[in-house]
Amino acid sequence: MCFKNLPIEFDASGKAHLREGVRDPYAYQSLSLHEQADKVKELLARNGHIKSVDFDPVTRVAGALAFHSVVDLKERKVIETNSMATLFRGYEVILKGRDPRDAAFISSRACGVCGGVHSTASALALEMAFPVKPPPLGIAVRNLMLALEFWYDNPLHLFLLAGPDYSESIVRTTNPEIWERATRTAAPYAKVHGYRTIAEIMTDLNPLSGSLYLEGLAMTRTAREAYVLVGAKYPHPETVIPGGMSTTVTITTFNEIYSRLSQLFDYCKKTALIWDDICDFFYDANPEYKKVGARPANLIDPGIWDDPFAYDASYENCNEWGDRRWATPGVIVDGELVTTQLQALNFGIEEFVEHSYYEQWGGHRYRTDPSGNPLSPYHMWNKETKPAPSGQNWREKYSWATAPRWDRKAMESECATRLWTIAASKKMPHTRFIEGTGHSVKMHVPESTLPDMDLEWKIPQVWNTFERNRGRAYHLVLTTCVAFDNWLIGLDLLKQGHTKVHTEFEVPRKGEHIGAGFWGAGRGFLTHHCTIDNGAISNYQILTPSTWNASPRDPWGNPGPYEEAVLNTPILETFKDAKDYKGIDILRTIRSFDPCMPCTTHIAVEGSDHVIMREVNTCACGIED
Amino acid sequence: MSTLIAGVGYHNLRDLSFGPVLVTLLQKMNWPPYVEIDDWSWGPIAIVQQLETQPNHYERMVFIGAVERGREHGQVYPYRWDKPLPSADEIQQRIGEAIMGVVSLDSLLIIMQHFKVMPREVFVVEVEPEDCEFGDGFSQGVAALRDEVIAEVRQWVVESVVSNP
Repeated sequence: MCFKNLPIEFDASGKAHLREGVRDPYAYQSLSLHEQADKVKELLARNGHIKSVDFDPVTRVAGALAFHSVVDLKERKVIETNSMATLFRGYEVILKGRDPRDAAFISSRACGVCGGVHSTASALALEMAFPVKPPPLGIAVRNLMLALEFWYDNPLHLFLLAGPDYSESIVRTTNPEIWERATRTAAPYAKVHGYRTIAEIMTDLNPLSGSLYLEGLAMTRTAREAYVLVGAKYPHPETVIPGGMSTTVTITTFNEIYSRLSQLFDYCKKTALIWDDICDFFYDANPEYKKVGARPANLIDPGIWDDPFAYDASYENCNEWGDRRWATPGVIVDGELVTTQLQALNFGIEEFVEHSYYEQWGGHRYRTDPSGNPLSPYHMWNKETKPAPSGQNWREKYSWATAPRWDRKAMESECATRLWTIAASKKMPHTRFIEGTGHSVKMHVPESTLPDMDLEWKIPQVWNTFERNRGRAYHLVLTTCVAFDNWLIGLDLLKQGHTKVHTEFEVPRKGEHIGAGFWGAGRGFLTHHCTIDNGAISNYQILTPSTWNASPRDPWGNPGPYEEAVLNTPILETFKDAKDYKGIDILRTIRSFDPCMPCTTHIAVEGSDHVIMREVNTCACGIED
Repeated sequence: MSTLIAGVGYHNLRDLSFGPVLVTLLQKMNWPPYVEIDDWSWGPIAIVQQLETQPNHYERMVFIGAVERGREHGQVYPYRWDKPLPSADEIQQRIGEAIMGVVSLDSLLIIMQHFKVMPREVFVVEVEPEDCEFGDGFSQGVAALRDEVIAEVRQWVVESVVSNP
């Protein structure tokens, strides 16, 4: 039994049903936030050492995020947090009424970094709805390309966005005692990455001038070069379509990709071990760092990278083909893996808008999913996007992000969840380079300039800011192994003469068809849910990793992951006076999630069934207490 | 003198798309063989990396764009790019935005300058946008400036009005 809050049970054959005798199974009572808000307001008024600290915008994140916190500088703790997505992403509105074939190209624009993951999630949703199953080479090439996309995303975060928080220039200012210790601490993995001391790593993490910063920037080029060999364009590929890929791949294409891929072998070894050294150094310097950004390990990921010989695009078989993915789908609650079934993962999700700038939608069109499992009226197949930026204050509505919940729990989306599910489930069948051991993932990275190497990511004892970063560094190792595995599979298929990368399809012009694209982004979870009525999209819902993470409070008053992680963060920064306080512990925590708040602002124009923008940037500066 | 004329801006945002739209017009005109005309409304970091592979390929660059700076409408604002670099924090912020897909003429110029891939002669021809809503076409005021901007660009490029440093 994986559900504790939703009244869902399973019969002996594993089929889900609503518990008998529950009159209104999805009904709930919302909790008012007024009392808590009044309490904080009073504390602020009465105590000089309690300060309102706002980060608007939070810099070094993708797109627009504002963060409001109230901190007690005497007790060195955070007492109130609000995460605010300040921009509206209205692709759900734009896609309504369109030809489904537009979806992959339009939804790709939801992100200026990782458009390809949206194209792919969209293609998968349509493959389920039409239905159409791509040929094996199409799937292998898609896996390869989408693994390469993370090679843009993850280094960029580790060395350009989050990395500077651990650089000499920041650490010297916020924690001089840590910097001093770093100068006399040897780096355990010096033999691999070449840095003798932790201080040397920190110096090379300095923004603009540090060689790790500059190398991270350079890696984005290598990743893009490999990616466009099959995607044609970055970040919005032209070749990812339902039924596979619309490009011709040859042995030459594979050789050209390999010349880039081989450069990544060494880089991922160094990256993983650099972040091991940074994380372990901070823990040794002050064990309190384990509490920074800590929250229960409640994680969700639909899995990614399909088995070319198992994926059939159907919802009915998604539990089976999901299990054969390179990243096993999974839900982790309090550190325990509670399901790897894609269907249970799907029908356990709901989105709430009590504290978001949306109107509640009505209706409950789908009471069950295509396999007969119960579906909530708040599930994405039933959800409608109704923007309504009103009631702007911390008690009512304060974000363009919704509050997604699984089994009514705030789940976190992280690329490291993939490592966790591979480790804990031991189901991942592609063991040429990757092996789940029950408590870790062992990965074998081939030789390049550095010798071949076995790297092991272990399920952490605590889930916090540092483990998110370490997990992302090891995700780069996973990504490299998956890319190389699919490169080998693709090459093998080509040698055998299986050159087809696409299956023809017809858009069903009549009737009702639904689909879901279960995929993942550089930051973690990604799904697209669509409904097609008589040949046109009648509903489209995108659920991104940052929607999970930036979630405002839910109807029961529970904070979203950013909010919860910052609430649990001790203030370890060194400062004598409140005016010197920089908020580095809070910023490290927010950035450790690799926030991506898509920067394109779109809304429906009144009187038109199409696009676009007006008054959608809701900055935190005018919000009422 | 190897010269680039480049438009920079988002597409389909009325006046804000002035740079890329004008480039499509310029490409249909006659220019000396040493002139390349392109839409550079793509990632500044990718542009820097591209320029690093062909050092000193361009001796002169002329950028066209519409940038909101609160100036008077109905005028063309040509200038030579010879500004000092902003603070390291600002450069870092602009790099962060650039790698996330933000298109900005200022960011492009600052990032190119920071990474030292700019030729000595860089000129900018700007207009102040009046209509920044979604859609194609320009406001009347900006549309009226089109020929003046083209003449300005041609002057920078063909008549070689460059002052010696």
